[in-house]
Amino acid sequence: MGVRGTYEQELVQLKEDISTMGEDVIAVFRQALNLLENRDDEKIKTLIEGDSAINQRELQIHDDATMMIARQQPVATDLRTTIAALKVSSDLERVADLAVDIVKAAKRMEQESNGSEIQEIREMADVAEEMLREALIAYQNRDLMRAQRIATLDDTVDRKYKHYIQRLFTLSDETNAEQTTQLAFIGRYVERIADYGTNLAEWIVYESNGKHFDLN
Amino acid sequence: MLASQEKNTEYEDNTTIETKKTGNSVYKVDQLNLWYGEDQALKNIELDIPEQEVTAIIGPSGCGKSTFIKTLNRLTEMIPSVKTSGGIYYRNQDIFDKKYKVELLRTKVGMVFQQPNPFPKSIYENIVYGPKIHGIKDKKVLDEIVENSLKGAALWEEVKDDLKRNAFGLSGGQQQRLCIARCLAIEPDVLLMDEPTSALDPISTLKIEELVQELKKNYSIIIVTHNMQQAGRISDNTAFFLNGEVVEYDQTDKIFSSPDDKRTEDYISGRFG
Repeated sequence: MGVRGTYEQELVQLKEDISTMGEDVIAVFRQALNLLENRDDEKIKTLIEGDSAINQRELQIHDDATMMIARQQPVATDLRTTIAALKVSSDLERVADLAVDIVKAAKRMEQESNGSEIQEIREMADVAEEMLREALIAYQNRDLMRAQRIATLDDTVDRKYKHYIQRLFTLSDETNAEQTTQLAFIGRYVERIADYGTNLAEWIVYESNGKHFDLN
Repeated sequence: MLASQEKNTEYEDNTTIETKKTGNSVYKVDQLNLWYGEDQALKNIELDIPEQEVTAIIGPSGCGKSTFIKTLNRLTEMIPSVKTSGGIYYRNQDIFDKKYKVELLRTKVGMVFQQPNPFPKSIYENIVYGPKIHGIKDKKVLDEIVENSLKGAALWEEVKDDLKRNAFGLSGGQQQRLCIARCLAIEPDVLLMDEPTSALDPISTLKIEELVQELKKNYSIIIVTHNMQQAGRISDNTAFFLNGEVVEYDQTDKIFSSPDDKRTEDYISGRFG
């Protein structure tokens, strides 16, 4: 063990806690998409209630990171790792919030949508999920190349989102305005989740070399 | 060539030294090597030290940082076995030049040491000691110097009612500020500080740190410190010394957020030293 072995263990633990939180957030996102396809009000309620646990995880990570700054006075990479942990955990918490927004919008839809819209949302969501997964791997390994590739995936999501919205409003009419609005919201939430994937990539770059890149 | 090069001199003609802020280096160190007998303590040091900024020298014990700062006002040459090569240019004048008057250098470059070292005299006598040597006899002028120097060292309010008090009766932190006031009394250009707070309690340390921030408005300050947080708090530039070499020299913001060299990173983050 090195001179700062205990502290290094704390840093490793911090990153592991974030990875675990990230896996849980991805699971919530997947579940939200499944509930969009197969509406189940009981499961929707459980998902919404479960969000407070994710919020608690974020707060715990913030408390741990704050304590490390106070007690260990980190500098350079140690400091950036701690700051990135604060930012990454906040972004992951927002992804979970958006997943909750997706199921809430699904609930507001008067009828279940089995049409091509859901298929398009699913395609967008698959890419967004891949971005989150890639971000978690890049975060654990401080993998800059992997982080930068995430931005390319975000371009794909943006393209799909644009196409989705155009098609949605072309096909909509007055009789299904509420349905269309909710579907537009859901598309927007997925697109925002992909943006958070890009944010994660930016924090990974910052942790690695202290530089700020706008990958959006 | 730096802009001020042609106008200042400390040669035997006693021309006044120009010390106005020019945005230039106060010191330029060029391929400086120093040996204690056969042991090389400084290796090819290259540093430009900006004026009216705080430059911190950090590094583990034995890295050469104290030797370096002492060399800046030629204190090391008092050790017979010391040999040097390369150059140190203070205000563009080579301080190793045979014609260079070390006494003049030391009127412009004050030094504060780790242990406060006031003279066993009154507070007043400590301050006027230097000016008197320089021929100032007028009591009114000396009184003014005492007040200004003590104010400059943030000590006036604490001692103004009893300037005849023996300096040894002051606390360690007050003694250190008295030593700084003693430097200021001869109106220096540069203050060299060799671990000035390592013998002080935390509150006295913070007072000195605050004082350094004030002093840099009028003086160029070079400080050797073992305390990394202190270097981070008070310096504008930081040089990391290791085994007699400068590993990295940059703005303090850069050194403490994303240093270029892994050895710097390991040292400032407490991995060794």
